[in-house]
Amino acid sequence: MSASAIEFQSIQKSFGLAFSLGPLTLSVPRGSIYALIGPNGAGKSTALNMLMGMGEPTLGSIQVLDRDIRHGEVEIKRRTAYVSPDMDYRAWGTVGRAIDFVRGFYPDWDAARCEELQFAFGVHRDSRVDALSFGARMKLALVLALSRDAELLVLDEPTLGLDAIARRQLFAELLKFMTGEGRTILISSHQLTDLERFADHAAIVNQGKLLTSGRMDKLVERYRQFDARVLRDTPSGVPGVSVIDRQGDRVRLLVDADLVSANALELPEIEVLAQVPLTLEDLFLALIKSANNRSGWWPHMSAA
Amino acid sequence: MTDPPTNLHLGPLSPASGPLYQQIVDGIKREVLADRLTAGSALPSYRVLAEQLLVSLITVKRAYEELEREGITFSRQGLGTFVAVRGNDRTRADRRAAARSALRSAIHAARQAGVTDRELIQMLRAELKSQPAETNDETIRGRAP
Repeated sequence: MSASAIEFQSIQKSFGLAFSLGPLTLSVPRGSIYALIGPNGAGKSTALNMLMGMGEPTLGSIQVLDRDIRHGEVEIKRRTAYVSPDMDYRAWGTVGRAIDFVRGFYPDWDAARCEELQFAFGVHRDSRVDALSFGARMKLALVLALSRDAELLVLDEPTLGLDAIARRQLFAELLKFMTGEGRTILISSHQLTDLERFADHAAIVNQGKLLTSGRMDKLVERYRQFDARVLRDTPSGVPGVSVIDRQGDRVRLLVDADLVSANALELPEIEVLAQVPLTLEDLFLALIKSANNRSGWWPHMSAA
Repeated sequence: MTDPPTNLHLGPLSPASGPLYQQIVDGIKREVLADRLTAGSALPSYRVLAEQLLVSLITVKRAYEELEREGITFSRQGLGTFVAVRGNDRTRADRRAAARSALRSAIHAARQAGVTDRELIQMLRAELKSQPAETNDETIRGRAP
């Protein structure tokens, strides 16, 4: 058994000229909650869909629970539960009928667990699916996924439409799921504060490419934010240091401690004022900003 | 055989109060110091504590690694994590070191403000008298002969 639950190996996929994913290499360790983070259109859903047999990579390969997606689809789906905002249960009329329909597919269905989950998420059997709010439909999809004794959960934007209370409930249920042996969750979401607290690993993707990945705590420690004052122009670039914000002669710098030496900020051009604590959200914004503005790690900083 | 894992009451954790793993480390030290966690008792598994405290597994793992590094706990492959026999002493030693360091800062601040040593001692006496309830915690009781 491999130490990874999911391996994306140099995958690439293009959709005409408009968008291409990859080359992307990612491995999701077994026994972890892995967050896939990226702006809208970064390719997160495209990547997750491929795990569930919706689209194949043009190049590269994907292993899920030690099976290649090209040959192991049935086995993979038997052991994996999937949630996405696109799931539509309206055809079954009521919540109860949707549950009764879905449970029949899965020998690992746990009826008692399903009852608990309905109660936890406030989902009622006699509600009409088409009368449910977007958030309540998401809760139904989550109840259906978590009622199974799956090894792997693939959750595409499960927090969409959920209020703060329901999100907390969701993460509590995910941690409960993780108390089982060898369980893994791959989740995409824009709720970065939640992910920072609950996820063990994260990958940040932008325009189909990986910007960074790693253990959540190490990631937030690896990058550091500093406020500095610009003393004079600096035309030279410092790899590993980027300007993420600027107001007058004050700049906020993002420093990648893996790339720079300890004295990287001891420059005649700037005076460092303070180190600012960094959250996952800060890191995300800074990385996306500097990726989309490739012109320079260290743009011209005239002390205007 | 050891006792079953203790149900820890560390209270809700909030990112606003600093790193979550540190809050777990501090909370467990507090329990050890108060003898609610005694030598040899088992800590809950990572997964169980993560579920209880609503934090990632990595956060709990890191807290446990820190506690082990400080000699408060030890782990046995396949059995779990346990409070070390000297865990309580180490926690107490840590606390005493922290108190001593706070005292040093107070002395420094007093000298800066031109407070004489005699005045400083009077201040300390007055402060001790003003918060008898505060100081009457486990540290004092634990040390009392």
